[in-house]
Amino acid sequence: MHGFELVVSAASPGELEGTDLSPYDAVCLGSPYCRRVEGNYAEALDLLPAVVSRLHAAGKRAYVATPAVPREADLPHVSRLVDAAAAAGADALEIHNMGVLRIVREKGRPVAAHMGAYANVYTHLAAGIMRDSGAVRVRPNAEVALEEMAILSREASVEAELLVHGKIPLGVTDRCFLLTEPEESDPKCPSACAEVHWLTTRQWVLKTVGKGILSGRDMCLLEHLPRLVRDGFRVFRVEGLYETAAYRSEIGAVYREALSRAFAGGSFAVEERWAAAVRRHAPRGLCNGYCFGTAGRKYIGTVLQDANPEV
Amino acid sequence: MAELLASGGSMEMVRAAFDNGADAVYVGARGWSRRRAQYEMDDAAIVQAARYARSSGKILRVAFNTLPASSEVQLFLARADALYGAGVRDFILTDPGLMMALKHRHPDTILHASVGCTIINVQDALFYKEAGASQVVAECRMGKGTMRKIKEEAGVGLEVLVHATTCYTLLGRCTMSSYTKQGHLVDERGKDHFPGSPNRGGLCYRICLSDWDMVGPAGELEASGVELPNRAYFLADDIPDLIDLGVDTIKIQGREYSVPLVGRMVRFYRELIDACVKDRAGFRMEPWRERMAGIVADRDTERREKTAGLISEGEGNPPH
Repeated sequence: MHGFELVVSAASPGELEGTDLSPYDAVCLGSPYCRRVEGNYAEALDLLPAVVSRLHAAGKRAYVATPAVPREADLPHVSRLVDAAAAAGADALEIHNMGVLRIVREKGRPVAAHMGAYANVYTHLAAGIMRDSGAVRVRPNAEVALEEMAILSREASVEAELLVHGKIPLGVTDRCFLLTEPEESDPKCPSACAEVHWLTTRQWVLKTVGKGILSGRDMCLLEHLPRLVRDGFRVFRVEGLYETAAYRSEIGAVYREALSRAFAGGSFAVEERWAAAVRRHAPRGLCNGYCFGTAGRKYIGTVLQDANPEV
Repeated sequence: MAELLASGGSMEMVRAAFDNGADAVYVGARGWSRRRAQYEMDDAAIVQAARYARSSGKILRVAFNTLPASSEVQLFLARADALYGAGVRDFILTDPGLMMALKHRHPDTILHASVGCTIINVQDALFYKEAGASQVVAECRMGKGTMRKIKEEAGVGLEVLVHATTCYTLLGRCTMSSYTKQGHLVDERGKDHFPGSPNRGGLCYRICLSDWDMVGPAGELEASGVELPNRAYFLADDIPDLIDLGVDTIKIQGREYSVPLVGRMVRFYRELIDACVKDRAGFRMEPWRERMAGIVADRDTERREKTAGLISEGEGNPPH
């Protein structure tokens, strides 16, 4: 890989629509949270060939998310999804569940595997097993600090993906928090998770997306990019799921420019317009504590500290 | 016959569990299991507990079921080696890399894939079998159809929690606690207990059990006092079916409960299982429910007190 790769996630045609993808090198298509997300690329397999072709034509790589919580009854669909992604020419599958990784391996690894946020990658030994099963990239668990990630990646000889901006995936379940009736019959499905719902208590804020719990604050590593470059990170994710097209477009533009400058070497300073963009899109503040070994909700740094309203 | 596995949060609890009829007891190696250090045991106590188990023909399982840092792998191997040298053969692990490393080092160890592995389908079970596990713990909401399939197709033992608390999220796939508060507590062996991270060190502040307000994009209140459902569950009614399914281990959680309560719980399940096995056709659940209700009430009281203390600690207050 030359330079770096900036990846954004987008669940559906609805999320891709209006998103300026020019800052990004790759798009991870589909939502791992729920098969019922409207237009979910991980579910609507007939949509994959066209969107993968479109991304390739634009010089971008196309990854496809797989369900994070595939029950036994979901596995036939997962099998079809793997086949469909391979047939569409997808560049990789994002995998959160070890059973799904095994399915891909048993199929002869028709598509490369990227281990996702819920794969619980904490050690180089686990990453090594995943590598031996076909994973070429891992996203260490959110709790894994930067210095641990560097060890993990080096010792396992596998590329590490780093969330540089966006809501942190904190928890996943297979029962929707936003519905009161079974999902097949609740009229709020699938629209409820497309709306914004915060959970607040004491000094804490989370975001619920029905079957997922995300951080209330946005992970932000903008002011730390030179260190990430020095540490050897090359793959960076902007979490675009459940965000607006403006979010994906503007945050992507900030990181494209900032990463390019960080990789060029020389002096690096957070531009005021970058700071304004990240503040504008983070109504609950910014955080990055996990990367530095402390609580995830904390913000470590000096430049954007003021964007965290409770610090 | 299905094995009854109970919790051992202390030597006293280990004895109580065995004396009340547990076939096996699990304990946590201090700094390495999914509970805080208070409910874990040091090596000397583990060896003592293992001797007690062996003396009565029973099994002691040692949980190293947190997910360490890469730099702590050598600490794990050294500690497991020491326990192995003292005769311990049964381990509960979560990280597939640790499983494979330990199995490679000591092929005669018996490894169980922890509930933290979040095994939800037969392919998951096969993955952990390939990593070295001979038994897997079913995710708390796994249906009987999947259990049956694992028993039929995976060629591994199956363990089912019948007396436990489910997380709102999938157990083992949640970092809500450490998002709010996480620290570092490095013990004399060099192991970080990562207080606040149940995945890494065991201590969970249970912030999911706070009273949450749900608010919309502009801050408008949509619902107040919302709970992220995190409920106790008891599958006593299902035990006959689990036995019929050929489930290998029936597990009762409870290292944080009082020793007398754990003793009562173990005695209850021992007698229930024995009655069911003795007369499967004539077995009726009704007489057991009243006794069960008393245990559940006492268990809920103890848990509520613990939970209130943990949430308070998560806010930055000192431990109770």
